Amino acid sequence: MGKTILIVDDSVSIRQVVGIALKSAGFDVIEAVDGQDALAKLSGQKINLVISDVNMPNMDGITFVSELKKLPAYRFTPVIMLTTEGADDKKAAGKAAGAKAWVVKPFKAEQMLDAVNKLILP
Amino acid sequence: MDMHEAQLLFINEAEELLDVMESCLLEVEAGDATIDAHIDAIFRAAHTIKGSAGLFGFDAIVAFTHSVESVLEQVRADKLEFTPALAELLLDCHRHMVQMIQSIADPELASDKNQGTKLLAALDVYLHPPKSDEPLTDTSQAPIPDDSGHWSIHIDYGREVFRDGMDPCSQLKFLQTLGQVDDVRVTADFSDGEFDPECCYLRLQMALISSADKQQIEEVFEFIQDSSKVTISAPKALVNKVQACAEDDARLGETLVNSGALTKRELEMALAEQRRALQENRQAEALGNMLIKQGAVDKSLVSAALSKQKNQEHKRPIDLQFLKVDARKLDNLIGLIGELVTAGAANELLIGQLAHEKLQESFAGMTLLVEQIRDAALGLRMVQIGESFGRLKRIVRDVSKELGKDINLEVLGAETELDKSMVEKLSDPLMHIVRNAIDHGIEPQDVRIYKGKPSQGQLCLNAYHEAGAVVIEITDDGAGLDPDRIRAKAIENGILDTDKQLSKEDIYKLIFEPGFSTASAITNLSGRGVGMDVVKRNIEELRGQISIASDINQGTRFRIRLPLTLAIIDGFEVTVGDAHLVIPVNMIQECLAFDAEALAVERDYLNLRGEVLPFVRVRDILKIPGQRLQREHVVVVQFGENRAGLVVETLLGELQAVIKPLNKMFRAIRGIGGSTVMGSGDIGFILDVPQLIEFTMHKESRQCAPASDKSEKEKHE
Repeated sequence: MGKTILIVDDSVSIRQVVGIALKSAGFDVIEAVDGQDALAKLSGQKINLVISDVNMPNMDGITFVSELKKLPAYRFTPVIMLTTEGADDKKAAGKAAGAKAWVVKPFKAEQMLDAVNKLILP
Repeated sequence: MDMHEAQLLFINEAEELLDVMESCLLEVEAGDATIDAHIDAIFRAAHTIKGSAGLFGFDAIVAFTHSVESVLEQVRADKLEFTPALAELLLDCHRHMVQMIQSIADPELASDKNQGTKLLAALDVYLHPPKSDEPLTDTSQAPIPDDSGHWSIHIDYGREVFRDGMDPCSQLKFLQTLGQVDDVRVTADFSDGEFDPECCYLRLQMALISSADKQQIEEVFEFIQDSSKVTISAPKALVNKVQACAEDDARLGETLVNSGALTKRELEMALAEQRRALQENRQAEALGNMLIKQGAVDKSLVSAALSKQKNQEHKRPIDLQFLKVDARKLDNLIGLIGELVTAGAANELLIGQLAHEKLQESFAGMTLLVEQIRDAALGLRMVQIGESFGRLKRIVRDVSKELGKDINLEVLGAETELDKSMVEKLSDPLMHIVRNAIDHGIEPQDVRIYKGKPSQGQLCLNAYHEAGAVVIEITDDGAGLDPDRIRAKAIENGILDTDKQLSKEDIYKLIFEPGFSTASAITNLSGRGVGMDVVKRNIEELRGQISIASDINQGTRFRIRLPLTLAIIDGFEVTVGDAHLVIPVNMIQECLAFDAEALAVERDYLNLRGEVLPFVRVRDILKIPGQRLQREHVVVVQFGENRAGLVVETLLGELQAVIKPLNKMFRAIRGIGGSTVMGSGDIGFILDVPQLIEFTMHKESRQCAPASDKSEKEKHE
């Protein structure tokens, strides 16, 4: 039974690159373009990991993670925040909302896989 | 700085590094040093050249140097033995690198591509040993490398780890990508008294066998860093690595981070703590103690790094000895100091007229300082002559190998200092003399044995200071110069008249005549179109002199005397008629009243306390018009082994003379070496003492030879 990862990012290229890397590492991938879209796509299904950007239209990443953590099914789901270098306030806000892991943009696909592997087993 | 200047800097730097590389290789090859002592310097030279060449896009240099560096790296890691064959190959590679660097500045000197390809192929053999050789170690089951060892990791998980979505299993699994995880012990901490199934009570203790550094290991746990306590202790073996991690900076924190014993985060934490303590209490603990307290590193590692720091403190004065300065800046400074000296002389003159005692006193103090500044500034241009000698070592090695002669080179006084511009201009003449000595001077082995000499030829380079000059001697124990052969050759080449009688010294001087060559067979070494005449000219351009002493079958000694500097001299001012003349103080022995009675003056020589001293009247030589004064003085000057008296009219005293070269038009004037501006604004001429002495001696021999029977003293004036 493969594990499922949700990627939330408004940039299609990031979703694609990360998606390809994760799929080739054996994960199932669900894509969402922003927080609202992500919450809509969850619909109670089993998610093992969430990767979310911070700055997105409609619902930003911090709000999305706080909302996510309120849902009982996703209380313990690990979240990786995509932060930018030096945005320590965003990182802290993300941690407070419940995203305990992070990857600093710009990143390479391998860096993302490393972060994922530190959190869940393939 | 534009690109061209930067490129020049690169060339300069690369050439210096190549010199280091060469001298290290030669020392190792000669057995004067072990490869272990020099491999770092050699490696660093190649490494730095590669790095800088990359910046400028010299891809060919990068590619070639990369291979050299790879081989050196193998040697450094003790994976490759440093054999004489490898030393030879590396020296050839060095030569090729020199060519490649030179061809940047002068594309006409294009390096030989075939040579490069050949060398690369030769290097490749070392990098990829032929498959037939059984590998010494099976890499798939290779034992853990030496610098690894057991990292000890202790994790006290935070209660909320599970709630954060962290999975300890995935971290351990990830840790395995760094090395082998062993001996995992799981304990649980239920000291809370309650049990919440959503909480994590785990404690893990494990050993990790890995060559990763602490930074990499810590990153595995980066996401639980906030909630859990992770302690990573370095393996004991890391002490060696800390000691070996000899980077140029000697700061404790950086040393520990570089050797992988400390993470940047831990260092920053400790530094922040230190800063905070400093602000609050105006004092803080040493970084080492703080790191130990934090549990970041073991005490043994701190003391290892600190012991290294001490070592580096010893080394540091040597590291800081050199500061690169644009030569133009230095020339500018020396030029300004020249002006200062001149201006000072003008002031001295005015103050002298004022007869104001206090002013004179304070000015004397200032004059002293100006003199010191002058000496210090000139000292900036001084470099050790060893740099030139280093290059000669290579020549000796290559030439003697090519000719199949066994020659031992002895270098003395390499630390003797000389003006940088002179060192550069000396390198060609020295090279030529050394080539000649090996090619023509030192006999082939069989001849030497036949003559009863040791089969190994001796060549000695010696530099030392002597009376305000630098003397460089190149001595060989070869065949020596044959005066009869030189004489015959000179007559044959039309340099010398058949019936002319010459002293041995004068015959030797013939080899400096243009178009003279005694080598019966011109080899490709000495026959490079540069004759001894060019050598002599080069040295005279430096206001120096070259002389030869030789004995048949005993050897030959070339002696080069050079002034210490080219810019400013301490002079002694004299006048003849209206002319102000300056004699370099370091050549003056004494000044006497020219008393015809007391000195028993002959036509051309006088009796100085029982010794014969030839003299000349400066007025006559320089053809200064006017009447001879009643009272005259004689200044006794010495250059090398020769002395002479210069008769002048008034003695004015010492001054500092900033040498201004004479215009080309006046170069031909004998007896004057340069000019200077006096304090009064008058022009002074600097006497060329060596030339005057030579003139005096010749005049004497001309006069004396036909009249040697003239024993009766004949008084003049």
